[in-house]
Amino acid sequence: MSDTLHVSEKSTVSNQERDKQPGMRRRTFLKTLGGVAAGVGIMSKIDLAHAANGWNAGALDQLSNEQLVDMYDKMLKSRWWEELLKDAWLAGEDDLYGYVHLSIGQEAVSIGAIAALNEDDFIASTHRGHAQLIAKGGDLNKMSAEIWFKSTGYNKGYGGSMHITDTSKGILGMNGIVGSSHILAAGAAYGIKVRGTQQVSVAFGGDGSVNQGWFYDALRNGALYKLPLIIIIENNGWQVSNPTENTNPLKDLATMAKGFEVPGYVVDGQDALAVYSVTKQAVERARNGEGPTLIEAKTYRFYDHAMFAGAKVGQFGAFGLPYRSDKDVHAWIANDPIEKFRATLIALGVLTNEQADEMVQKVKDEVLASFDYARQSPDPDEDAGLANVYAEGKVAASQFFA
Amino acid sequence: MAPKPGTYAILEAVQHEMRAQPHLTFWWQSSKPVAVSPMGQVIDLFAEFGDPRVPFGTAINEEWYIGAAAGAAMSGVPTIARTPSMTPVRAFDLVFNQIGKLRHMTGGQAHMPLVIWQDGAGRAAGPAGQHADAGQESLYAALPGVKVVVPADPYDAKGLMHASLRDPDPVIFFHYAEINGVRVDVPDEAYEVKIGEAITRQEGNDITIVGYGPAAVEINRAVEGLKEAGISAEIIDPRSLKPLPMDTILQSVRKTGRLLAVDHGHETLCGATEIIARCAIGVPGAKFARLAFPDAPPPGARRMIEWMRPDAPKIVEAARKLVAA
Repeated sequence: MSDTLHVSEKSTVSNQERDKQPGMRRRTFLKTLGGVAAGVGIMSKIDLAHAANGWNAGALDQLSNEQLVDMYDKMLKSRWWEELLKDAWLAGEDDLYGYVHLSIGQEAVSIGAIAALNEDDFIASTHRGHAQLIAKGGDLNKMSAEIWFKSTGYNKGYGGSMHITDTSKGILGMNGIVGSSHILAAGAAYGIKVRGTQQVSVAFGGDGSVNQGWFYDALRNGALYKLPLIIIIENNGWQVSNPTENTNPLKDLATMAKGFEVPGYVVDGQDALAVYSVTKQAVERARNGEGPTLIEAKTYRFYDHAMFAGAKVGQFGAFGLPYRSDKDVHAWIANDPIEKFRATLIALGVLTNEQADEMVQKVKDEVLASFDYARQSPDPDEDAGLANVYAEGKVAASQFFA
Repeated sequence: MAPKPGTYAILEAVQHEMRAQPHLTFWWQSSKPVAVSPMGQVIDLFAEFGDPRVPFGTAINEEWYIGAAAGAAMSGVPTIARTPSMTPVRAFDLVFNQIGKLRHMTGGQAHMPLVIWQDGAGRAAGPAGQHADAGQESLYAALPGVKVVVPADPYDAKGLMHASLRDPDPVIFFHYAEINGVRVDVPDEAYEVKIGEAITRQEGNDITIVGYGPAAVEINRAVEGLKEAGISAEIIDPRSLKPLPMDTILQSVRKTGRLLAVDHGHETLCGATEIIARCAIGVPGAKFARLAFPDAPPPGARRMIEWMRPDAPKIVEAARKLVAA
């Protein structure tokens, strides 16, 4: 499969295969729902019409109710952890500082993709990677404590939002240098080959990251060495405040896969099930030694590139930003990936409306409890910055004293 | 035990460590990891370990294999990447922003068992500019989180490579072409030269002369000239630029009261500059001189580059002046 395929084209094949499998009821249902979603309008506006049908139906054949509820729970955690963090930050009482990049609006990409992975698979994240951490099992207390720069945080206060890492869960870390996730994930994929395990390694990158040489290095060498590598581009349309079309001549960034005869797919990034399906297939290829896959998920961030310009306490989304139109933001918010997922689960009978509401409340409580955990946690020692430079000891502080 | 050429001695260490560490992976670009000793022994890492631990070669793409080496190291696969002499800083950002910082940024979670074996051209006549450079070790030594070693003979090169491959932290291992022909006995068995430990090559009372890598080779060539000039020189090779083993150097300068620091890097911010600064702080009243390559790219013409190169006659002359001062 060497062409860049839009997922709807691929799905024809996979649906035929799956017609023999149980799960018809779910798939038929989703096809109907997908048709409705495509009719909403936003998708054709941003050229996503190809993305909805079919793939998500395949996902439902493979995911149990428990898994679907877990995905919803993780989407809610990601959403409300960031949303309430934004509120706390703007309220100002906690005197929070540093850089934060919200992934609100993009959650379905991370949660959908990572649902297709095993616990011991690797992911390398971007500066906008909170959703990926939560999807891979990240602990809210430790994440919050890191935002508060406490010694109980994931990085013990050394890193802050942009660098949250949990190596015990295969999370190679968020990273503040655009494009580095591709090369680091590719290296981890090479390491998998050396160790001879069945793991895979997933690089997340924004649309801006494909313009770094490291993306090209990872894709080319991934194909050359047939590495168990999956590159997922979260194309939210903006490289900071510069539209993607100003930075790359391709309408679909996944087209770049063609050059190295790597499968490339465009998928609706607001549809967690579609992202799950396309990733699942890429994971199977990778585990079978067939090499890398490039997936481009079209999505949108509801807030500014970094921090909270145009945002208000209690208001969902950022408006009035000089580089984008509020009309677009409203249109994308109408295509909220979490609302969409919730509607699917309720319509399928996986959750009732009341159960879904209870989950939201429970997640909000957990998030607020994690903020309290962070507030009550101890600060790092003043001189702790001299430690962890090397595996052992501390570097000298002799520069202060002559 | 017999003299061995530098590359052979280093590959002996790599071979030993690859046998001892089952996942240690060797990335190479243009120089296949094969060497023959003067006695005809052959080391061929590709034949012995094969793909994927010794990839079947890689593109001229330092950012790829050093970046991949970092990703592999983070995921628990120790890696060594050998990179040729003309392109030492293509992957500098990876060292600056990832390799040196990740352990710290992650609060100690990320491990980086990685060695970058950096071949160094040295100040040879002919290649000019890009292929006749030296001193990049001081760029790397300015970065936190990495260690930088610069051996001056095949014995130290082998011992430092063992130490580097056993180190849990990233090490930039500078291997200058000048050291390959230095004749010293190199044991067949494994041994470590500790990173961050200087060696006193010669004891003396009038002046301390410090240099590493190609400068240390040149200082060694100046030994006869110094003796003829009646100068009792204490000669120290720090062997590591980071950590910089200052105790040995400070102790010597306290004794001699004079320091000549020699460096084949450029005058501004070369390693010798840091050594002098630390001695100036640590030994009040001492006298200093620095002999380095001028702040100009290396020219091709022999007549030009040899006039600029800090060689044995210039070292003797600088020592004579400093002792007379």
